[in-house]
Order: sequence, then C-alpha cells, then structure tokens
Amino acid sequence: MSLIDYLDPLVAAVLLAGIYAAMSVGMTVIYGVMKIVNLAHAGLMMMGAYFAYELFERFHIDPVIAAIIALPVFFLFGIAVHWLLVRWLPKSDQPTLSSLLLMFGFWLVLQNVALLIWGNEDRSIFTPMTFSVIQMGPVSIAKVRLIVFVLAVVSVVILQIVLRRSWFGRAVRALIQNPYAAQIAGVDDRRTAMFSFGVGTAFAGFAGALLAMLYSFSPDFGRQFLLRSFVIIVLGGLESFSGVAVGALILALVETFSILFVPASYQPAISYALLVVVLLVLPKGVAGLLEKKWRVA
Amino acid sequence: MAGGMTASWLRYGKSALPFLVLLAFLLLPATDPSSNLVRILFTTFVWMITSIAWNIVGGFAGQVSFGFAVFYGLGAYTAALLINAGRNHYFAFLGAAGIAMLASFLVGLPTFWLRGPYFAIATIGVTEAVRVIMSNLSFTGGASGYRITEYGAFKQIEHYYNALIGVAVAVAISAWIAKSRFGLALRAIKQDQEAAAQLGVNPYAFKLWAHAIAAALTGVAGALHARYHIYIDPSGGAGGVFAFQTGISILLMPVIGGIGTVWGPVLGGAVFGIVEEELVVKFPQLHLLLYGALLIVIVLLEPDGLIGLLHKLAKFFRRRREDSGGPRTDKVLWGRSRLEGREL
Repeated sequence: MSLIDYLDPLVAAVLLAGIYAAMSVGMTVIYGVMKIVNLAHAGLMMMGAYFAYELFERFHIDPVIAAIIALPVFFLFGIAVHWLLVRWLPKSDQPTLSSLLLMFGFWLVLQNVALLIWGNEDRSIFTPMTFSVIQMGPVSIAKVRLIVFVLAVVSVVILQIVLRRSWFGRAVRALIQNPYAAQIAGVDDRRTAMFSFGVGTAFAGFAGALLAMLYSFSPDFGRQFLLRSFVIIVLGGLESFSGVAVGALILALVETFSILFVPASYQPAISYALLVVVLLVLPKGVAGLLEKKWRVA
Repeated sequence: MAGGMTASWLRYGKSALPFLVLLAFLLLPATDPSSNLVRILFTTFVWMITSIAWNIVGGFAGQVSFGFAVFYGLGAYTAALLINAGRNHYFAFLGAAGIAMLASFLVGLPTFWLRGPYFAIATIGVTEAVRVIMSNLSFTGGASGYRITEYGAFKQIEHYYNALIGVAVAVAISAWIAKSRFGLALRAIKQDQEAAAQLGVNPYAFKLWAHAIAAALTGVAGALHARYHIYIDPSGGAGGVFAFQTGISILLMPVIGGIGTVWGPVLGGAVFGIVEEELVVKFPQLHLLLYGALLIVIVLLEPDGLIGLLHKLAKFFRRRREDSGGPRTDKVLWGRSRLEGREL
C-alpha cells in the first residue's frame, strides 16, 4: 500500500469526525451544565432521522433543509422535555442514579413510540446526490458526506461562537466551571439549564437528520452512536467543547483505519476498547493533557 | 399490653413470612399444578434472581448497569458448553457463575477506578461488544444459536426446584449483604464515596466485589434459563440472551420493585415475570413503552418503587389504628429516599 492509498481513508475519517463532533456536542452541553448523562440522546437522534425522513417523504423537503429545520424544532422539544421531566430531578453536581434512570426511561418511550408509528423495518433517504461522487485528484469523496461534514462543522463552530460571545454562553461556561460561584455571580441556573437542554436536544435532532442522509435507520437507531458519543466526550474530557472535536477526530481515525485490520462486524467492540484504553491512560481526556487554564470549558 | 402482644406477633409474622412463602412454593408441586403454571413460575424465578443480583450492585452500591445481559448470556453459554461436554448440570451452574464473575472484573476493573458515569455507560458498550462477538463466534454457532443436548427425560419439576433454590440463595445473599458490614460499606459508598473512603472503606474493591457477586448470580440465572430452554441464541429479538433488551429487563425489575431493599427486587421480579408473560403475548411492542413510562413515573414520583408504596400504605393504615410508631431505622440509614440525589 502506498501513501496515496491511505489518503482515501484519511479523508473519510475527517469527514466522519465532523458528524461525530456534531452529535456529541449536545451531550457535552447537557452533561457540563446539569451533570446528566443524556441516554435519551440516542432516542432524540433517532427522532431527528425520522423527522428528516417524514419531511422528505411528505413534502419533498431536502434533508439538508430538514436538518436545519430540526434545530429550532428540537430546541423547543428539548425545552418542553426539560419543563415536563428533567427539572423535577434533584439537583446535584455529580451524575445521579435517578437522572440516569429517568433519561433511560425517556429513551425507551421515544424508541417504542417510534416503533408504533414507523414499525421495525429499516428506512433510508435517497436523494439525487446520495450516489454522486466528487473526484479530487486521487481522492474520491461522496458528495453527501461532504455536505454533511460542512453542515456539522458550521453548526459546531456557530455553537462555539455563541458559547464564547453571548451571555447565555458565558452562563453555561460559568456553570460548568463552578456552579456555586456562577449562581453567586447572578447566573440563573434553572433558565440556563433549560436552554442548555434545549441546545443539547437541538443538536441531537440535527445530528440525527444528518446521519439519516448517510445511514439507514430504524427505531433502534442511535444506540451505536450513543456509545460513540460517550467515547468522544470522555476522550475530550467530558466538559470541554474543543475536546469534543479532538475526540471525534480520534474516534473517526481509529474506526476508519481499524477496518484495515479488524473485520467490520467487530466495529462496536472497537469503541468500547477505545473507551477502556482512554479510561486507563487518560482519565481526564485529551483536555486533561493541556494546562487547566487552556481548557475551553 | 394487648397492643404490645399484637405488635410482637406482627414482627414475628413478618420475619416468618418469607419462609412460609418458600414452604408454599416447595410444596406446590404436590398439588400437581399445570405445566404452564410451572413454566410461568420458573421464568419468574429466573427473572427474580437477576433482579436481586442487579440490586446488589445497582441498589446497595448505587452503580447502575445496563449490561447484565452480558453475565446472563455468558452464564447461559458456559452452562450450555459444559453440559454438552458431558458435565453434571450443577457443575455447569457453578462454571456459569465463575465465568460471569471473571467477566465482571473485566468490566469493573477499568470503570470503577473512576467516579462518575463511566461504569454505567461502559456497560452499554460492553453489551454491544459482547453480543457482536458472540454473534460471530463459530464454535457456539454464531448468530444462529446453540443447542444443548442433555440425555434423560425432561423433568420440569426439577428445573422448578433448581430455580426456586436459586431464588432462595439469592435472597439469602442479598439479606446477608443488607445486614453485614459489607452492605453497610456499599451503602456508605452510595451515599458519599469520599466520606466512605475517609472512614477506611475502599470503594474500588467493594464495588468490584459487589459487582462480582451480582454477576455470579446473574450467570446462574442465565444457566438455568439455558438448560430449561435447550436452545439459546445471542440476539434473536427479546429472547436473545445477550440482547440489550435482556439487560433492560434486568434493570427494570429492581427499579419497579424498589431498589436498595432486600424485598423490592423480589417483588419487582415477581410482578415483572408474571406481567411479562401476559403482556408480551398480547402487546409485543407496547410493553417496553409501558416500562419506559413506568420508569419515568417511578423516578419522579415514587423513587422507592412498589415496596415504598406498600410501606406508605401500611403506614397510612397503621396510623389510623394506633398513633404510635417509631421511626424506621431504614429511613435513618438511607435518608429520605433511595434514589434521590445519590451520586454515582
């Protein structure tokens, strides 16, 4: 194998990392502010996929547009879920048993509601661009993957700007760094938590819609991505947004290049193996390697 | 005086009740029950064992696991392989417990090292990884499943008694843990790991051992299941021993029944086992939706589960009869609620 042969999987890995980052960033926001491991993230991604599917089948809306529409729709949905369920959880600065079980129950409900509505069979979205390929020198890129990558990266960058510049973003980062000091300084933690849950949900739906352009999906969709998201945010150090990008890239690289050595059917075992290795070697994630003052919360 | 007498009678009655129930189930086969009833009871007993097992690590130590299907499945496969190799089935049950215990260390060693949600999430990954590996493993037939060939007639009552003994042993272990220093240490870890560590409890070791005991019991349950059903497969729908669904069921029972108590998981397992047998037939899809909703309701409204509800009802009626009634030591030990606000 020459160097040029490695270029194709390398490009594929980078493109994959984009969507991985978009799907994990929502989990990080929610974990960072509320210390809730959002297991329903998987269910919300699945809902995002069906959202794009329904818009495409009924109104012939392009899934790219559908993914963008999914952002505000799922934001409102997330706020509703927070108002209805999440805000009743006891507050804690560590993940609790009850939050884990609540989000798990919510995931079960989402999954089985989808099962009632859409049935068990795999669905997929085919648009004219699904099979078109762009040739760039020796590298060939599927057009869909490129579009998904661009959308994912743009969304993550916009979120990053919002978190750095806006009052909401500063409140989020303050709550992540020190919830008590943040409240003393006048951050409304309930409001911020509600908005963070909305943002996390919005990104789950958005990522789900994007993933629906790449993979076929069923109501069980999202479980394999849930573990990946978690590996990514552990790699990134759980609460760091720039860590998510690094984690996404590492996981995508490992997954893409492991196909060369490990049969594809063993893929789920790879994310777990990576998780164990990270827990043993880098318990604070990649961000833990950097100086604490560098940590972009 | 008379009031005191009834109170002490109540207390004796309460501690004798489990033995009476056990006796009733021991004598049940003498009444020549239908084989369908025995089947439902057997299935319920197997579920109960897993439920009690989950509670040891999930309830007492507060470490949520979504991956008990791994131990259940490993137990089933180990027993199947041993029985097919011509070993006695009791030896096979022990082997199942041993392998499940070993597997528990593989999961626990890297994840218990750290505080936080690592263990819970890793268990999702473990289920996924093990299921995939077992579906591709050639010497157990891969995804198409594995058949047990055991010589001699199929004696349903023998299976029934094995499962009943399994439940009795599981309850005994669970009750012992609840009373022992070991259990006290687990509760301390659940409530405040740092404080527990300062008092000389090693959270890492205690969590590992709680997990290992739970895994061994779950492995035995899987072995009982495998020997009864003769055929096992890794992930074929809800019946697959390694299926994620199996792990979900094992988690739901103790939560429904009331986690962190000795009898909650038993009750949860009993309700789940019987309801499952009826529900799955009638509404194959709806039952998980119901369980999901039930989980949400329990977490938000009644974190102590069915047992908590029963206690509240009993308290309500007792208060109507007589006004006295000391504070329950359990409440003092546990704080307001078993679920609420506990850190992982």
